Amino acid sequence: MSITTMLFVSEFEELWFDALQSLMGLRKAGLNHVVFLHVIPRDRVAMKRGTGYLKQEERKLREIADIRFIDWAETLFEEGMEVGAHIAIGNVVPKIISVAEIEKVDLIVTARIKKGKFGEIFLGSETSDLLRRTEKPVLLYNYQSQAGKVGENPFERVFLALDWSVSSEKVLDFVLAMKEAVKRVEIMHVLSEKQIGKMSKMEAHKIERENKKRLDEVCDTFVQQRFDARPHLYIGDTEEQIQRGAGEHRATMIVLGTRQTSAWKEKWSGSISHSLAEKSELPLLIVPAGGN
Amino acid sequence: MAKKVLNVEDDPDIRMFVTTVLEEHGYIPLMAKDGEEGAKKVKDEKPDLIILDILMPKESGIKMYHELKKDPSLKGIPVVMLSGVSKRTFLRSQAALTEFGDETVPEPEAYLEKPVEAEDLAETLKKILG
Repeated sequence: MSITTMLFVSEFEELWFDALQSLMGLRKAGLNHVVFLHVIPRDRVAMKRGTGYLKQEERKLREIADIRFIDWAETLFEEGMEVGAHIAIGNVVPKIISVAEIEKVDLIVTARIKKGKFGEIFLGSETSDLLRRTEKPVLLYNYQSQAGKVGENPFERVFLALDWSVSSEKVLDFVLAMKEAVKRVEIMHVLSEKQIGKMSKMEAHKIERENKKRLDEVCDTFVQQRFDARPHLYIGDTEEQIQRGAGEHRATMIVLGTRQTSAWKEKWSGSISHSLAEKSELPLLIVPAGGN
Repeated sequence: MAKKVLNVEDDPDIRMFVTTVLEEHGYIPLMAKDGEEGAKKVKDEKPDLIILDILMPKESGIKMYHELKKDPSLKGIPVVMLSGVSKRTFLRSQAALTEFGDETVPEPEAYLEKPVEAEDLAETLKKILG
């Protein structure tokens, strides 16, 4: 598993060139191809009562996107990188999935994608929709809470949240493959407060010991690969503890796995990764269990 | 015999514009909508000239140009770059590819920055193809 091709999805209002530049550290890990995608929402150019299809508006929006992409691409081309661009009209999530397939990308980078209020209440955001449907790792930026500021290298101090599932194994492979780009890895697991609360003191200690051992083993794997890595065991609400741990260790990015579930199941049973995708102020890298 | 000109361009409006210019001046237009399709058509059709955009899906004109000029059987085909990307960036990108160990390739026969007038394009083609 390596990252050679990255899909950078920009609505322009939400994801800018500084985010792209902050990812150039991935070149050390093999990144050599960036594909830009801008999706013009269909309702900007069509389905307007009494006006029909707004061809002129479409041209204008395409031109704006083209100019922006050329400007970004020039910088990357001059650094010897391969750059491609797609400007499409339609629904953003299907377009992202389709372009990710066509270009065979290894990573999708996007900002949180908003949906209408009605849709968000019943089905979650477009971001959740993307996470449910894609098999590619997704790196999410949340400009809303960061006031447009992006750290210089999000891969500098990675906060790796593991739940020992299949997706956690994928996460490990993914981060190990980014050896040259990552400076430090904080590896964490959260024990559920509810689960521990129901156990005797002896049982709780046993569970703690087992999990510490697993964390140490993972940490050793990273150290053997010459990463600077530290294990951390937390107890409490998983989502809360991930956010707290990332803050305590001044992480520049949170990385975790996800299982693909239906919108309704996710809505009612909850999903840590999807919930963090909505709330995390730090860049969030989500690796699906079925990902490559 | 009319000469074949391959236009590699992802923008359908510009493809149509170039096709019109080519037909009006007696050339046979061939079209490809990205670098990958363009590279295949070059091998299949062996055009007399290539008009090449840079920023496209699948494979950029920068990569396609570099590959083309490294291929002994294709490097003789003249190339006119037609792009919104500046010539300065194009030359720097080719130099950057060389820095990463690739061989040096010559400059293209002509470099036109978008938007281009029909007369300028036609005149450039005439100068190269005669």
